[in-house]
Amino acid sequence: MIVAERKPFAEIAQAVSGYRRVLVVGCGTCVAVCLAGGEKEAGILAAQLDLAGQLAGRDQRFATACVERQCDREFLAELDAAAREHDALLSLACGAGVQFLAERHPSLPVLAGLNTTFIGVNQDVGVWDERCRACRDCLLSLTGGVCPLTMCPKGMVNGPCGGAVDGRCETDPERDCAWTVIHARLSASDRLANLEALVPPRDHSRASLPGRQTHAAYLRRYSSHG
Amino acid sequence: MASFAQVIKDKGFVVTAELDPPRGVDLGALMDLAGRIGPKVDALVVSDNQGANLRQSPWWAAHRLAETTPAEVILTLTCRDRNRLALAGDILAAAASGVDNLLLVSGDFISLGDHPQAKPVYDLDSVQALMLASGLAQGRDLNGQDLIGAPGLCLGAVLAPEARPLAPQAIKMRKKLLAGAGFFITRPLSGPDALKAFLQEAGDPGAPLLAGVEARSSEGVSAAAEMAKAIRASGLARGLHLSASGEPETLAGLVEACAG
Repeated sequence: MIVAERKPFAEIAQAVSGYRRVLVVGCGTCVAVCLAGGEKEAGILAAQLDLAGQLAGRDQRFATACVERQCDREFLAELDAAAREHDALLSLACGAGVQFLAERHPSLPVLAGLNTTFIGVNQDVGVWDERCRACRDCLLSLTGGVCPLTMCPKGMVNGPCGGAVDGRCETDPERDCAWTVIHARLSASDRLANLEALVPPRDHSRASLPGRQTHAAYLRRYSSHG
Repeated sequence: MASFAQVIKDKGFVVTAELDPPRGVDLGALMDLAGRIGPKVDALVVSDNQGANLRQSPWWAAHRLAETTPAEVILTLTCRDRNRLALAGDILAAAASGVDNLLLVSGDFISLGDHPQAKPVYDLDSVQALMLASGLAQGRDLNGQDLIGAPGLCLGAVLAPEARPLAPQAIKMRKKLLAGAGFFITRPLSGPDALKAFLQEAGDPGAPLLAGVEARSSEGVSAAAEMAKAIRASGLARGLHLSASGEPETLAGLVEACAG
């Protein structure tokens, strides 16, 4: 899922300081799971901003709303009426959700309350780890289910650099060297031959423009969307 | 200019020394040092933003050295600071300026240097950089398009005999050879045993291997020279690559002790 964290409170308070009526909009999917921007976090943030506004002697009011997903028009439509009654929207969605909300309300300031961090996994209670860079050219079948572009700081695809010390990364002795893990996995599953072939330079042209994908079945059915 | 490959072929044992370009515009100290050690070594290796710390780009020093010293000059290029277009362009410019020996490396990670906020490039890894340079030497770029005038190149790569685990390093060595490495330089070694253990695991490197010997201070010169002697006596390497953490006098002392 997409993982995000709340921006520092002072940064958010500064961003909203010029607006009297602000709607704090939570998002009920990824960022709710990672405890950054769901309904509960929207409520807490609104209360904090209310207090800070009062302490600063500002005439500000913060209301909250939460939709299932801010990356879907169907859910954003639920907010249309409430949005019109506010001077600014403070979105607690990932970067995609913030942009989709802003696109829907071009005349309203739409502010970001979170920093989107990565696509990751839930490692433990309250701990998320990055696992995917959304590179559009997945190597995981070759590399033992470990992504060298994400897990190796250098994104080396032909094997380790020379910096591994006792299987740890030269950039951080707390982290496993991705290629040590890849080698161990492929060894355990008798696939070390995967590593002998030269991996050619990657095609970054796929990632140099904002992506769009259209599901073939929908394309056939609603050709105007193609 | 005879390339470094020819020198290795002609000589039983070669010695190279590593020079770091200055953190500024004045090449004087580097040229002075090169004037002293250049006649005693077979090649001078010019480092590239060593340790991810800002230095003058190495192509200028490499070009000046190629013009003024009897030694071969080897230009280091990292994948950390250049995408494939910049790497190819720099390789062509180097060859045009008389520097056709290259050491192609991935490069110490950006966070280890003095500009940790910079965006690391790594468009290519070191194996792919060798693939790129091999293609250029055959007159074509990575997309197979013809060059107008191909460079004659001698390509080198780095080995890390003391990285652990060793097995993935051995695979990487084979890939570098396959991608066109004509010689190998190891990272600084702790001793001949480390090299022996690596070669036992990795097998024949398939190209001449120069063992890295580093003195970190003037006090460390005699120990480093002893190690160099032991490596030479072991017959495990075709040469030595001497370095001194950017300390000119230490390097001069090490060269004197090993190649004088």
